[in-house]
Amino acid sequence: MKTIDGRGLEPPKPFELVMEGIADLESGDSIKLLLDRMPWPLFRVLDRDGYRHNETIREDGVVEIEITAP
Amino acid sequence: MMPAGAALGYDATPPISAPLRYFLTAPFFGMLAGLLLLISPDVLVSRWTPGALALTHLATLGFMVMVMVGALFQILPVVCGAAIPMAGRIALAVHLLLVGGTVALATGLYKMSPPILTVAAALLGMALSVFLLSAMIGLSKVGSGTGSQRDVRLALIGLGVAALLGLSLALTRAQGLPLPMFSMLQLHLGWALLGGAGLLLAATSWIVVPMFQITPSYPRAMIRFWALSCTGALTLWSISVLLEWKILSLILLGLIVALTALFLFTTLVVIGKTRRSHPDASYRLFRLGIWSLIAGLVCLLSTLVSDAPMLRILAGVLIIYGGFVSVIEAMLYKIVPFLAWLHLTQSGIKAPNVRQLQPEDGTRKQLRIHTVALVILLMAVLLGNDWLTRLAGAAIVIEFGWLFFNMHGVLSAYRKTRTDSPARRYSSAA
Repeated sequence: MKTIDGRGLEPPKPFELVMEGIADLESGDSIKLLLDRMPWPLFRVLDRDGYRHNETIREDGVVEIEITAP
Repeated sequence: MMPAGAALGYDATPPISAPLRYFLTAPFFGMLAGLLLLISPDVLVSRWTPGALALTHLATLGFMVMVMVGALFQILPVVCGAAIPMAGRIALAVHLLLVGGTVALATGLYKMSPPILTVAAALLGMALSVFLLSAMIGLSKVGSGTGSQRDVRLALIGLGVAALLGLSLALTRAQGLPLPMFSMLQLHLGWALLGGAGLLLAATSWIVVPMFQITPSYPRAMIRFWALSCTGALTLWSISVLLEWKILSLILLGLIVALTALFLFTTLVVIGKTRRSHPDASYRLFRLGIWSLIAGLVCLLSTLVSDAPMLRILAGVLIIYGGFVSVIEAMLYKIVPFLAWLHLTQSGIKAPNVRQLQPEDGTRKQLRIHTVALVILLMAVLLGNDWLTRLAGAAIVIEFGWLFFNMHGVLSAYRKTRTDSPARRYSSAA
């Protein structure tokens, strides 16, 4: 699974990287996103476009999100 | 590992007009404050002159609270995942009440008019009750998982306490309520500057500073305990002030000052570790604000050993104008273009780069004008020179005019992009 590391990047760069990353996904494929915080605005766009997402906060505080294409 | 991202009311995400109407109005109150200095330079003789009270509230309510309330309409959904119900309508109603209330309060204080102060108390009371109630309803639907979520709640409570104290003071002036004026004033200042504005600055800084200034996170212990400790210390201090336990209130004041200094110096350390090779103008404006708050704190401490009235005015200028106005302007120059970008993207429109929405040159000029105006104002207070005060007033009018011009520029770019771009999915355009 491809991983996009958006930690330490100024908004909206991580958002743009994810949008570019999910554009290449085949149906059912997933990518992993690593961030310093919960990206609430991104979820809205993912939900709108039918992507599934599953997020967890790691012990070190890093937010890990798995995004799956519809 | 812990699950996150539970139920969210995305559909209730506010329209861009909700925060922007506040951001575009706030500079006008800044300009009014500058005009007041320009036409009545004697307002700075004492912090208790009618003009000084009007000036303070134009800056704090008209600019600071105006931007903070507008920002909260966006911070709650973006940072906390909480949505204010009927955000568009609530934002419009609160905005009208807040604008009317602030104009009435500044006028009532300037003219020392009981009827106008009563109108101001009614309008501001309604504005803040409606806003705080709506925000609390939005927050009640999400957990208090992160430090920011809990601390935004604490800041809202602090803002509420400060508002209640302020309204009581206005009614004391207007209707002659038998309340202990001096104690209430002390509490109003403490809760407004630390319990409300300070806590909100901290709650947003936990997220916004690492996010936009590309720094490491604040220490975890700080995020976990700082705001709680401040609220606890402020509460105990308020009780000791009301009960006139002088030694205890002095000890607790010392604790509050130490906590404030801890936040400010930690912020300097955190932003000092930015990964930017060349700090941008917003970064330098933010850093100027933090240093100014530290200088203001030193002036406040100096009032314990000196009775010079100038020290209190200097403290006010450094904390409110040099401190809060600087950090708020720094955040506006990051948040407003980001919001425009976000709303375009969420509408399925390919947005221009944030640097195109708000060119760096505009922020750089804001930093320069603000720094010059601050230096002139500080010199005017130090030298007690009316012409310097007038000059500072003129510089402040230009500063807030420039801020409005740039914020309006982002809105125009947003509108133009919406008009020019046929709606299309961002992902397919990438």
